[in-house]
Amino acid sequence: MNSLLDQSSLFLQQLVNGITLGGVYALIAVGYTMVYGVIQLINFAHGEIYMLGAFLAYSMVTVLGLPFLAAFILTILICSGFGIILDFIAYRPLRKAPRLAALITAIGMSIFLQNLAMMIWGSQIKSYPRDVLPEIFSKTAWNVGDVTLSWLQIFMLVITIVSMAILHLVIHRTRIGTAMRAVSQDKTTSALMGIGVNRVISFTFAVGSAMGGMAGILVGLYYNAIFPTMGYIAGIKAFAAAVLGGIGSVPGAMLGGGVLGIAEVIGAGYISSEYRDGISYAVMIAVILFKPAGLIGRQIGEKA
Amino acid sequence: MKRIACFLIAWCLLTGAAWADSIKIPVAAAFTGQLASFGEGIKNAAILKGEEINAAGGINGTRVEIVLEDELCDPKEAATVATKLANDPKVPIVIGHLCSSATLAALPIYRDAKLPAISPASTNVSIGKMSPFYFRNVYKDDFQGLFLAKYAKLARGFQKVAVFYEVNDYSMGLMLAFMKEAKELGIKVLGTEAYTSDTTDFKPQLTKFKMMKPDAVFIPGYAPQATLIVSQARGLGMKIVAFFGADGLDDDLMLKNPDAEGLFVTTPFLPDKAGPQAAGFIKAYKAKYGKEPNWFAANAYDGVGIAAQAIAAAGPDRVKIRDYLASIDSKEKAYKGVAGNTYFDKNGDCLKDAFVKEIKDGKWVSAEKQLQ
Repeated sequence: MNSLLDQSSLFLQQLVNGITLGGVYALIAVGYTMVYGVIQLINFAHGEIYMLGAFLAYSMVTVLGLPFLAAFILTILICSGFGIILDFIAYRPLRKAPRLAALITAIGMSIFLQNLAMMIWGSQIKSYPRDVLPEIFSKTAWNVGDVTLSWLQIFMLVITIVSMAILHLVIHRTRIGTAMRAVSQDKTTSALMGIGVNRVISFTFAVGSAMGGMAGILVGLYYNAIFPTMGYIAGIKAFAAAVLGGIGSVPGAMLGGGVLGIAEVIGAGYISSEYRDGISYAVMIAVILFKPAGLIGRQIGEKA
Repeated sequence: MKRIACFLIAWCLLTGAAWADSIKIPVAAAFTGQLASFGEGIKNAAILKGEEINAAGGINGTRVEIVLEDELCDPKEAATVATKLANDPKVPIVIGHLCSSATLAALPIYRDAKLPAISPASTNVSIGKMSPFYFRNVYKDDFQGLFLAKYAKLARGFQKVAVFYEVNDYSMGLMLAFMKEAKELGIKVLGTEAYTSDTTDFKPQLTKFKMMKPDAVFIPGYAPQATLIVSQARGLGMKIVAFFGADGLDDDLMLKNPDAEGLFVTTPFLPDKAGPQAAGFIKAYKAKYGKEPNWFAANAYDGVGIAAQAIAAAGPDRVKIRDYLASIDSKEKAYKGVAGNTYFDKNGDCLKDAFVKEIKDGKWVSAEKQLQ
């Protein structure tokens, strides 16, 4: 604990932990921020999609005996389907209603899905048995001094970065991405220009939920703990990350997730582990106080 | 149909009359609901002990009747059951309750009715001080902390320990008791870190521990978090350390985790370390129920035994029974039960040693080194 080497490897290890955690927050935060961008709704049921992602992958691997990669892809597809259904059932009928109505519905859906999961899978924590996962996940990839980086952490970081990059390309280089950006600026005018607004919104939910479900699978693997209320805390943290980065902005969500993850881990590691959540929220509040639109959010004046 | 009903009522009245001079020993615990598995051992062992007492001629010739009172570990139900028992003049003593929260709800009712009670399983620290009529033949939470410090130093030779506790009354009580004893024994506590029950990421704290290089990590908390802690510690490459905890980690959930291999916990009773006085009990229990008795069973068996001895010595008067129990206050006067020797301090808490069991090949087994 005394030497400089120990101190620096402690810091490096905490940084590795923080970046991994931040990547997960970013993946979930993207779902919040995209939906907020197009329909100005804070989709509180998003954390539950994340939870369902974790449970679905777990069930496919342990009950159906699918190989992990197949379960991974199938779960992501099913989660994006869930996102579309969620929008269709709970939010589309309220599109013209006051925003508060949709917000309450979102909270209702969150509670409903949590209880549904409790009925299906029970309230006890589920863990993957060791032998069903690819062996490489439990291996150490890099070990210098006291700093350890596992293959699973590398897998998580790569998946996070690749999916973020694809998302960026989709939003900025494809027709549907252009349509999304148009809808987020002005729904009525977009519709007048011949954009199928509901189709774009469905697409947004699908992509956001796919990211959320993916985050759920990764976290289920990383902590090896899957339980029906896991979406609640993760959802709140990711929401904070989205606000910190600037809600409505996809790069903002990524940055916010990273900042929040590192702040939480460094706070727990160096200040007080009892107040780790307090520290990460204090960082968020401090940012919002000085930059109300978030780190790279659009200025409030731009949008009504 | 009517005739059968009449017959049944008549039969009940007749047999009731035949048992009019029996002694009721109620056993109050959770026999249904979520915690029914804890209550099962208590029920089985109490019935077994009752049968054995009757086979040996009862208490001074009077039959014993074990009455099961199900309160689901729910404080409200426990209070209802306690009121019923307090108002039954045929009840001289109660064996119960199981959960500390149920015991705390029933306690004032027994105290006001001057009805003595022996809990075989409630470990909350404050119970004993709150009523002169409450006794228990299980240790207190703070004793476990003290015992674990002794065990870590004397049986395992740990010199440097890190403590990772959950922020709640149970864990912090354990942690403080452990730290106090550790200081006295000269165990170096390298660091203490905290977590809350909704935490899933323990890596920041574990990373700090890893750099401190402790011999062992003490986790005064519960199994759902502890199973994550041991896995994440292994993931960080902390291979040399041992993990240990108190009864909060004594959960079969831990067995599903291969990383928990070697983890050890305190327990009041171990069938294979229990000594010769328990051999008959273990054999009879196995023959009747087809499985080994757990610590709930052993403590309930002893609880009924202590109650029977008190009634035999003091008669059916509640206050006299209480005074008799209070007089079992030294090693010499101790009740020699299957789960060790029980005697009470001035609060009615017992001073009894603990045992240690560890996870080996995915099963709980008695630790090779014990502190007896």
